[in-house]
Amino acid sequence: MIPDLDYAFYVWTSYGLFALVMAWQFLQPRLRRRQILAELREERALRTGGYDDANS
Amino acid sequence: MIFHRLKVGFHRLGSPPTFHKLCRILSPWLWAGFVACTAIGLYQALYVVPPDYQQGDSFRILYIHVPAAWQAMAGYVIMAILAAIALVWRIRTVEIMTMAAAPVGAAFTALCLATGSLWGKPMWGTWWAWDARLTSMLVLLFIYLGIMGLYAAFEDRRKGARVACILVLVGLVNIPLIHFSVEWWTTLHQGSTINLFGESKMHPSMLPPLIWMAIAVKLMFGGALLDRSRNDLVDQDRRKRWIRDVIGEEA
Repeated sequence: MIPDLDYAFYVWTSYGLFALVMAWQFLQPRLRRRQILAELREERALRTGGYDDANS
Repeated sequence: MIFHRLKVGFHRLGSPPTFHKLCRILSPWLWAGFVACTAIGLYQALYVVPPDYQQGDSFRILYIHVPAAWQAMAGYVIMAILAAIALVWRIRTVEIMTMAAAPVGAAFTALCLATGSLWGKPMWGTWWAWDARLTSMLVLLFIYLGIMGLYAAFEDRRKGARVACILVLVGLVNIPLIHFSVEWWTTLHQGSTINLFGESKMHPSMLPPLIWMAIAVKLMFGGALLDRSRNDLVDQDRRKRWIRDVIGEEA
């Protein structure tokens, strides 16, 4: 089984950083999209006078 | 005939609803491809390939470091091509894509620098050296951050994108500097091991995971680029009618 313990910290930290960066690149646009959609929902509510908040 | 169709297709991409639809359809496939290629690449990198006879297991950092470095540079070249198209033809969707490429490229550059440090400590005995390769890569990160900062500094997004596109083209000079730095100067960083057009110094048994990981990060770059472009487009066009029609159901 790898990696050798002498290098384990360096190797796993590198792979961990890779996982973190990839996860952030996947999640960040989705979180941003949710935020934009929430803003649009609010704008529409202000425009139409009705506010149907599914989270309330 | 084919040229005409390509031309029409290219011009259609300038239409925000068409571009939005393309991003929505393509992005999940690119991400799925990334997951599949990464799974194969990581399995081979960690369990199939034997340890290096000199570096032991620490050489496995290569399978993160090298694809990240390649993508940081390839991402910049893609961004520069998009910037040139944006400046010449003034296509707004291309301007948006150019600006969306910067944070993804910056993430790969930062990953390359961090994993390089983690590889350098056990092999060179130091986290960092001011040699030509490392320094030019750090300059690339600053260029990426500069482009993002410049774009964000303008209230008028289109004006900001156009100014930042010029900086993208100016910064392109750094890419050959990074590539040839190990040949032009004496560096602590090793010379190139993999040669696309000749014989590589790397043993063939070590190549497959590198190829899988390189494909994976390319697909991921595409997926992240389209996701970010789609968001920026919706954000810019939030008052326009087509947005209400397209995302009316979601909102």
